[in-house]
Order: sequence, then structure tokens, then C-alpha cells
Amino acid sequence: MPRQKPSVWWLLAMLAAIAMVVAACAEDEEDAVDDEVEDEPVDDVDEDDPDEEEPDEEAAEEAEGDFVIGVSNTLVGNQWREQMVCSIQAESLASGMVSDVVLANRDTDASGQIADIEGLIGQGVDAIIVNPHDRTALDDVIAAADEQGIIVISVDQAVTAEQAYNVTNDQVAYGELGGRWLFEQIDGEGNVAYMRGGDGAPADQDRDEGFRAALEEFPDVEIVSEVFTGWDPSTGASQALDIITTEDVDGIWTSGIDYPVVEQFEAADEDFVPVVGADNNGFIEQLIELADDGLTGAVVTNPPPVGGVATAIAIDLLAGREDHPQDTVLTPEVYDNIDDMAALEDLYLPDLPQGFVATMEFEGYTTYTQEQVLECEGP
Amino acid sequence: MTTATDERAGSSATTPGVRLQRWLRRHGWTIGVWLLLLAFILWYATLIPAFGEFQIASIARNSLPTVYLALAQSVVVIAGGIDLGIGALMVLANSASARLMEDQGFAMTLAIAVGVVLGAALLNALVGLLIAVSEIPDVVVTLGMLFVYSGLALLVLPSPGGGTSPGLRFLFTGSETGVGTNYWMPILMLALPTALLAWWMTRSRRGLSLYAIGSDLGAAYLSGVSIRRAKVVSYAVAGGFAGLAGIALTTLANSGDPRFINALNALLASLAAVVLGGIVLGGGVGSVVGAVAAGIILFTLNPILTAMGIDPNTTQVVRGVLIVLVMMVAGLLEWRRRRAE
Repeated sequence: MPRQKPSVWWLLAMLAAIAMVVAACAEDEEDAVDDEVEDEPVDDVDEDDPDEEEPDEEAAEEAEGDFVIGVSNTLVGNQWREQMVCSIQAESLASGMVSDVVLANRDTDASGQIADIEGLIGQGVDAIIVNPHDRTALDDVIAAADEQGIIVISVDQAVTAEQAYNVTNDQVAYGELGGRWLFEQIDGEGNVAYMRGGDGAPADQDRDEGFRAALEEFPDVEIVSEVFTGWDPSTGASQALDIITTEDVDGIWTSGIDYPVVEQFEAADEDFVPVVGADNNGFIEQLIELADDGLTGAVVTNPPPVGGVATAIAIDLLAGREDHPQDTVLTPEVYDNIDDMAALEDLYLPDLPQGFVATMEFEGYTTYTQEQVLECEGP
Repeated sequence: MTTATDERAGSSATTPGVRLQRWLRRHGWTIGVWLLLLAFILWYATLIPAFGEFQIASIARNSLPTVYLALAQSVVVIAGGIDLGIGALMVLANSASARLMEDQGFAMTLAIAVGVVLGAALLNALVGLLIAVSEIPDVVVTLGMLFVYSGLALLVLPSPGGGTSPGLRFLFTGSETGVGTNYWMPILMLALPTALLAWWMTRSRRGLSLYAIGSDLGAAYLSGVSIRRAKVVSYAVAGGFAGLAGIALTTLANSGDPRFINALNALLASLAAVVLGGIVLGGGVGSVVGAVAAGIILFTLNPILTAMGIDPNTTQVVRGVLIVLVMMVAGLLEWRRRRAE
């Protein structure tokens, strides 16, 4: 048996070594965490304690504005989602009615999101804003939140739970508006490349429905290439290079992977064809700067401020200020670089990266400033 | 170092004092991890305004998949192997059960659950057999299986969907809707399989043979243990628990999710739980009971870090640092103990 000992020793020594390296790297991180714990939300939450049992009275009592908003998001490290969360933070701060925003923000699946929402219910939040991982899986946990008097608002995609409010961008219209612009641009006939988003994603399916509806009105337009980019810029770029160099296309519709496609025309030294994309900063820049080189294109907006809109609605409902319909559908805008150059120049944010989504506010709902979104600091 | 040898030494101890000391020494880590879990739950209770049945039920049922998978990985690691395919097998079981159980009655879903668990056990037993016969390292074969199982899951269920019966949801979660305050069912579903497995591992011949081959292959062989059979058994038991984890996931979300990322997350959680639970990578040492507490701790970290308002981007760092810190403290204690001897 003595032979066993060295291997145990080895393992411990290795772990200790790893531990020291990691601890050294993470020391600052940990200090920061400790500080946060001391002066942040713990006390605020405790103050709400007595209100906890009677949610109906809670709303009346807190009309002055001491609401806690919970957020559940299951995709981390995605620019659009980041901006969505920041718009929630910014609107909470700007409203002056919210005392705390609690983020349950991690990469997970439907069961993980259910657990996260249960955690938010336990924290005594007044409203939960959720970007759902699944249309139906959250039904029961949303019902449980509703029973506790918590307002649940689903953003980006709708959920089937009848208690939930839905604030979504109209993805069917997104596909249809961009498609129609493109088909009209090529005078109703020619070859089109159709660069879709994520296979199986609800938003992609909705956009496809709209795109096909527009296509039916133009019988002489043919789709010569249909690919899924997975909303990944590098995948989209290599697919676009393939299409440009092997197919004879008259126009390209993209599901938001737009500026990498335009870059491929430059890389392959080919003449531009009309391109439809989303309100990504990099694409808007290209539409403005390459207009003289023959690039035409249209931006179809897909604003991340749905988060901010949902926050504004949640505060209205909590304070009993205004009633809102169960479903709020935000219609996209279309701006091309032929007639709407001024609008594009207005949207363009020269100091921000290509992937940043340029639509930062939503008139009639959000009250924050652009700086507040960029700072991304909640109350 | 095997539990088998210690067991015999313990039973012939002279005074109760010495016996207690030995018991504490042998189970020190397991007890420590359970105390750590208790501390975490108490800490969580102070972080949120109202801690009660709802939170206990939530922690118990949402820990189920991680705990089952931790048990699965424990068995393989104790027997001297490592199973990188275990998370993907869980996803496969989740996808298959969600697809088969949709719109079925309770009796049918229960039968499907039993079938899926047995099927997963059989599949993984074949993996164990492949390793035992070919003598290719565990890491290589199970890494391959990670992709095989993930691919199969996508074939069975191309995109998230499916469902199960309210009765089966009650069995695992204590509520027909998967949300509620009944914590007895999930705690029972945590405790019962753990108790059975712990008893089997330390009291049965076959279970002890896993410790034997994990501890010292040569010695095990000389003592008449069939190494091949023990290997296959360890993978089969792990497969069964991975199947159970998949069913638990189905009952929690009332749907299946075949994506690869779920398999990876689950695999990493199972390895973390095994290490934190005091089971030595390399085999022969540790108790499955410790891995259970570690599995629950890993889940409980999510609501705790959310309640503390920690920036989501630093959450992963905190999680990793915590695991390493616990290991460092444990390593230090072990070192001092050995020096004192």
C-alpha cells in the first residue's frame, strides 16, 4: 500500500500549485467582490422584508419608487444581449423609481433558467424581465411568480404563459420589410442570396415567414443560395466569400451578419450588390462611406432597448400609473443609403465598435440618455 | 489505503475513543463538505428577505441532475477511471426521454424512465467493456463517447422540445408543475439513490472491488478481483445514474434540450463535484456521500452569487477560485495530519 502515497501527494502538490497561480491572478477580483458585498444590495433587500407577505399592498406602498427588478438572461458574451441588459439598468436608473436591479445572467438551459427565476422570486423582486430560452418551458415558474404578485415581462421572444407580458421586436416584419426592399431594389427579378440566422431559433423562423411572404409577391426573384450563419460573424464572412466568388448574385439578404459580408466584396475585389442588414454600427458606417463606391443597402432595426421598454412598462404597472396591453410588438424601421442618408448618419456612432447595435433608445418608452446605456450602471 | 482494509482495522479497535478518532479521520472530508454546504445554505438564508420551504424545495430539486451526475462520475473515478462522456449521456437521456414521454400517461412515462435508465447503463457498460478489453486509456475512449452521445442526442431530438407527465414531475420535483414548496419528494429522490449507492459501494463485494481496482490494479488482481468485470460494472452504474440525471432534467423543465453546451457544462460540474467531494482523481479513495454535498454546493452557488449582486462576468471566476481554495485548505490539513503522524 505505501506505493499509493506518492500519487496522492502528487495530486495535492499539483493542486496547490494551480491554486497559487489562480489565487495570484484572481486576488484583485476577489477583493472587488468583497467590497461589493459589504456595501451593496444586502441591506436594501432587508428593508423590504415586511412588505414581502402582502404583494398587493406592496405596490401601493412603494408608489414613491423603491422597486426591485430581477433579470434572467441565458446567453452571456453576446453584444445584443449585453445592450439589452444595459438598457434595463439605464432605464431603472433614469426612472428614479427602482432601488435595485438583480441580475441572474449566465449561460444555461431551460431548467437552469427556471432555477434562476425561482431564485429571483426568493429575493422578493417586484418584477422579473426575462429573455426566454424556450417559449413554453417557463409557463409554470411564471405562474408561480404571478401568484406572488410579481410582474413578469418576456422580452425579445414571446412566451406562452398567459400571465406574462411580452415585449418583442416584430421579427416577421423584420424579414418582410428587408426582403421587400431588396426585391424592389433589383426591380423584381434576379438571383438573391439568403443568409439566415440560427437554425431552429424562434427569431429565425419568424423572419423566414416574413421573408417568404415578401418573396411571393416577386415571382421572378430566385434564391440561389440559402445558408445559416448561426449569427456568427466569421461563419457569415466565409459563406459570403463563397457566394460572391461562385454564384452570380444580384442581392444579398442577411439576418444581421452584414458588415462581414460587405467586407468580402472588398476582399474579393468584386462589384457591390445591394445588401440588407441590421442596425449594426459597422454596417451603417459602410453604407455611409462606401455609398460613393457603389454600395447600396438597407438597415432594418432590431433594437436591444426592448429591455428598457420592458422596464418602463414594468414601472408603469407597479406604480399603477398606466395600463399596458399584454403584448407590445415593436415594428422595425427600414433606412437605406439612398433616401434616408440623414437617418443613417444620425444613427451612426463613430466612437463605438462595429458590432455595437446603433439603436439605443425607443421613443415613447425609454427615458435614459445614451451615456447611461454605455455606462451600464444600475441604481 | 483502501476502505476495505481500513474497515477491518476499524472493527477491531479497542476503545470507543480510538474508534471515534478513526471514524472521524476516515470521514473527515465528507463531514467537512456537508458542513460547508450547511454554511452555504445558512449564508444564502441571510442574503434573501424570506428563506423558507420554497427555497429548500428549489435547491433540492434543481440540484438533482448535478447530484446524480456527481454520483455517476464518483463511481468511475473511485474505480480508477474518468468518464468524459457522462454529461453527453445525460443529455442523450434527457432528449430521448423528453421525446418519448410527450403526451404520455404516468404509467407509460415511468416505464420509459426505467427503460432510459437501463438503456443508458447498458450503453455505458459497452464503453467500459471497450476500455477493459482494448486497454485504451479511459480518457481517450470517453472523449470519443462525448461526441458520439452528443450526436445521438441531436438525432433523437433535433431542437429543444418534448415533455413528460405531471405524475413523473411530481415524483422528482414534488409538484405536478415542477414549481412549489413541497421539498420532501426531491429530498427523498436525493437521499434514496445516494444511500443505496453508498451502501453498495462500501458493503457489497462488487462495490468494494471498485475501490480495489482503483487503489491498486496489481493487488486487486492478486486478491482475485476480476478487473474487467469491475471496470464494466463501474461504467454501467455510472451510465444508470447519468440516465437518472437526464430524466430529472426532463421533469424539471418539462422538455428536452440536445445542445452540446449542456453536455460540457454538466461534465465540468460532475468533475468539480467529484474533486470537491473528496474523491481522489486516480482512484481508490473517497466517498460518494461527499460528492452529493459538493453537487448541491455547486448548484447553490448560482442563487448565492446572484443574491450578492456580483457582476455576472466575475461569477465564473469566483466559482473556480472557490473550488481551488477549498482544495488548498484540504490539502494543507492533509499535509499537517500526515506530518503529525
